[in-house]
Amino acid sequence: MSPKKWLCMFFGTVLLLAVLLAAFNFVTDPFGAFGDRFLQWFSYDETNNPRVAKTTWLEQHHDEYDSYILGCSSTSSLPVEAFNEYLDASFYNLFMYGADMRDCEKIARYLVEHYEVKNLVLNVYIDNGVTYDDESNGLTHGLHYAVDPDTSALEYFTRYLFADPRYGLAKLQARGEDTILPQTFDVFDEATGVYDKRARDAEPIGSLASYLQAYPVFADYPQSGPYGLYQTASCMESVAAIRDLCAGAGVNLIVVAGPVYIDYFDNFAREDVAAFYEALAEVTPFWDFSCSSVSCEPRYFYDATHFRNNVGEMIAARIFGGDAVWMPDDFGTYVTADNAAEHFAASLEPTPLAEDAISAQVPILMYHNLAEEGDGGDTMSAANFEAQIRALAENGYTAVTFDDLMAYVYEGADLPEKPVVITFDDGYLSNYELAWPILEQYGMKATIFAIGVSVGKDTYKDTGNAMTPHFSYEQAAEMAASGTISVQSHTYDMHQWAPFEDGDGPFRETILPLPGESEEDYVAALTADFTRSRSELEAATGQPVNVLAYPSGAYSTLTQATLTELGVRVTLSTNPGINTVVRGLPQTLCGMLRFGMNDTVTPEALLALLAG
Amino acid sequence: MAFTSWAFVALAAAAVVLYYLVPRRGQWVLLLAASLVFYAAGGAGGFVWLAGVAAVTWAAGLALGRLNRARAALAKGDRAGAAALKRKKKAVAAAAAVLCFGLLYAMKYWDFTVDLLPASVGGRLPRWDFVMPLGLSFFTFQAMGYVIDVYRDKYAPQRNPAKYALFVSFFPQMVQGPIGRYDALAPQLLAERQIDWRDIQFGLQLALWGYFKKMVIADRAAVLVDTVIVENCPYGGAVIAFGVLLYCVQLYCDFSGGIDITRGVARMLGIELAVNFRRPLFATSLADYWRRWHITLGQWMRDYLFYPLSLSKPFGRLGKWARRHIGGLPGKIFATSLATFVVYLVIGIWHGANFRYIAFGLWNGAVITASLLMERRFQSWKAALRIDDKSRPWRLFQMARTALLVFLGRYLTRAPRLLTALTLLWTTVTAPHLSQLWDGTLLTLGLSAADLLVVAAGVAVVETVELLQERGVHIRERLAGCRGFVQWLALAALLTALLVFGIFRAGYISSEFIYGQF
Repeated sequence: MSPKKWLCMFFGTVLLLAVLLAAFNFVTDPFGAFGDRFLQWFSYDETNNPRVAKTTWLEQHHDEYDSYILGCSSTSSLPVEAFNEYLDASFYNLFMYGADMRDCEKIARYLVEHYEVKNLVLNVYIDNGVTYDDESNGLTHGLHYAVDPDTSALEYFTRYLFADPRYGLAKLQARGEDTILPQTFDVFDEATGVYDKRARDAEPIGSLASYLQAYPVFADYPQSGPYGLYQTASCMESVAAIRDLCAGAGVNLIVVAGPVYIDYFDNFAREDVAAFYEALAEVTPFWDFSCSSVSCEPRYFYDATHFRNNVGEMIAARIFGGDAVWMPDDFGTYVTADNAAEHFAASLEPTPLAEDAISAQVPILMYHNLAEEGDGGDTMSAANFEAQIRALAENGYTAVTFDDLMAYVYEGADLPEKPVVITFDDGYLSNYELAWPILEQYGMKATIFAIGVSVGKDTYKDTGNAMTPHFSYEQAAEMAASGTISVQSHTYDMHQWAPFEDGDGPFRETILPLPGESEEDYVAALTADFTRSRSELEAATGQPVNVLAYPSGAYSTLTQATLTELGVRVTLSTNPGINTVVRGLPQTLCGMLRFGMNDTVTPEALLALLAG
Repeated sequence: MAFTSWAFVALAAAAVVLYYLVPRRGQWVLLLAASLVFYAAGGAGGFVWLAGVAAVTWAAGLALGRLNRARAALAKGDRAGAAALKRKKKAVAAAAAVLCFGLLYAMKYWDFTVDLLPASVGGRLPRWDFVMPLGLSFFTFQAMGYVIDVYRDKYAPQRNPAKYALFVSFFPQMVQGPIGRYDALAPQLLAERQIDWRDIQFGLQLALWGYFKKMVIADRAAVLVDTVIVENCPYGGAVIAFGVLLYCVQLYCDFSGGIDITRGVARMLGIELAVNFRRPLFATSLADYWRRWHITLGQWMRDYLFYPLSLSKPFGRLGKWARRHIGGLPGKIFATSLATFVVYLVIGIWHGANFRYIAFGLWNGAVITASLLMERRFQSWKAALRIDDKSRPWRLFQMARTALLVFLGRYLTRAPRLLTALTLLWTTVTAPHLSQLWDGTLLTLGLSAADLLVVAAGVAVVETVELLQERGVHIRERLAGCRGFVQWLALAALLTALLVFGIFRAGYISSEFIYGQF
């Protein structure tokens, strides 16, 4: 072959590979740059580049929305559902990680020029004074060419058609590893545009000490500054442009300064911080949540810079006057040019929330079966039970219900001095015959977790195997009507007893998935089981069922997340310990700890347990 | 401008195309322009230093040339005149050396020196705050080689400053060599030539091969190396050794890959640059290794440091002294050994201002000098053990032994500081934790199993090719004789490997050529 021919071959091969690469990138579309026509996996694309993928998502779905939320990554926690409800709108959260105000301005202009926009919520973060019009990695941080007048279509298509093929390969590989809950490669919820926090929001939270242990970043906060807020003027120009744009198009603009973790401010000079927010107030009035007692509490933050979705709920409630959500008094101020200086003189030095003002120590006791004579094991003698209840009453303990705990956490209601929660698992007849009268006698409330399939039975399902008798729905209704007892779910049939089951199994001995069961099948099974348990119990007692005790205490993050979506607000494990419940953090009601009570526990031992 | 950037590819492509389009008399001007574009892209600051070194050495060359001519014109027997001229030449060469090496010293070693001094003295001295210009060590050596050659009257100096500037700044080679010789390089740079398509083909192939080594192997291996070889390394000795092994792979593929790209681009311009690597894995001794690794630096040191040193009067006197007082073979080769030792020490220091580089120089110098001194003893052992010098097992043993010595030396050049290098070496020996090699630890170091496989496969391909070359096969010529389909397959495989496995994703910053800052 002559060298000339070889060169022709070389250029031909390069061309062929270029075409193949472009085709591959177009089909896999790991950044959602071409509408992700074949895989339609925007959650993945948005993780790679939220700016581009969210724009293409909107091109396909803009008729589902009429309002938008803009800002950097902490904006994710501004709750779309709450805003929808308060404003009777359909919000899409268009936040982009690392967004600067120039990005926001461009997107806002694009939205107003292309789609119907009723409301625009803009979150201004302190970092917006540090970076502006940042030209970092185009592939992952570049804007869609339709949004960005500074990016040509040619540049855009070249960038994404000839991107490294490993992005596409990684997407194909991730498809095989996709799970229901988010992983590092698909952190977005497509429909709302927010970070998919189902897994983090299902994670049990307790004491501050254990949280600091789990997230040591708060104990040893990284200081990367000092940063100068040199871009404040540019940032505010963009905010002003968005303000004028909205005014011109009749869009309702709500500007928010979201919560910043207190130690993050140490990266800046305090006077610079005040000047930044005061400059914002000069441009537009805004709701300031940047620095308050919330900023001082690590448990209200997912990590060093992102406040929790629950805090987002507080923000919405503060702005729109929702009164069913607890929040500290100093959280959220409407700041205008007139009150800005005065406000920031005080607000940047917040008083941390006292631990006893936002949290309570709540022990939970877990009983099972009672009998006149105890068996020295799980079946407790009625006498011992009564001695324990008497000891509690005499030592100033008040038995509270899960409704009380929910009211404390969600609405900030008070709890009595020494609260304790009494629970029974499985729904034995003895709870009705022996425990209830004793509880009535001492004015102590309790919750019984009944297994749906066992209610009213003294034989195991339809196998004829004799078992400890269980109370009936009528008896459950009778107890519930007394106000002393709440009957909640211990699943319908996910606490199977293998020796009594027909067939080879595997059996659902706990709420966990069966070996080899797909996530989809599992979620379907769990949903069907719990829904049936709830509907039968609610039909019998007429009271809402939103508490579930995990059979044998076992559960997974997917279990918790699924139940949360089904409306379960409290779940209980069998791990021993005293719970720390925290106002504003429903996660403190997840996988709650319980002390297992059996016949060997004396009243004195019980009191010692509760004393910690 | 990194070789792996599109800007460089575009510059090289434009230079090649235009080179054959412009009138032949202007070809060298085009090369100079391309070189200036290349250097200017690296920042204007560095440009001043390049121009300074070029100006000083050009002027020195002119002055020395004039003195050479005066020397030639002297009447025979005019010893006084000759001596006076020699003194003048020495003064000119020394002035150039002081200026150029002085600049190099200031850039690379001044702050290091200040830090070594007691604070009471060092604290009062000014610091050298300029950014080290791209390729300073390389073009300074190249330019000083020219001055010394003219001093030795090896050739006439270049009168045209622009042509001389091209010699000092020729763009593909100035960042990391090969260090060129004026008499070999300048005529090629200044020649007027028409296109030879074979040059384009072979040059392109060589550059692609360089990109393969750099982007598929070196840049990938770098990820693991950067994770493992750190201060307070948390891993066991076996993992550390694996990290250093991958560093050896990274360094070789990065540096020799860069040289292949350089030589490939030059070849497309019809210019044959000096060979800088000759399959160092096949070296049979540490001295042999240094004849195969960074060859042009070694040759420079030999011609401009080792010979002058060993032929100098003090060394001559030392040799006589040693023969008298030490006697035997050691006495005979004492002076030469000392000169060798000094050369390797300087090579070590050339790499940078740090104790670990000094230690690296000492290590190489000590091993090579020791082997020189012990050579006769080794020969007698070999004879006693009836080892056949030419047998394959013996050769393999030699290669393994050399590789081990090089490998140990690499602890010194990669660790952030000498103490860390010694700690890592100590851990390798005392706490190997071999189980970390298979308990999954290796997969937590930034590279997936697939990545490690790519590195292994890449190394296998490179070493297979080198084995063939070692046996005298000229790969590109052999390939050019194959059937068209085979040629296409080879090309497509290389391009596909680059496309699929080459590390050039945006956001991933390719580790700049490791030798670029030396």
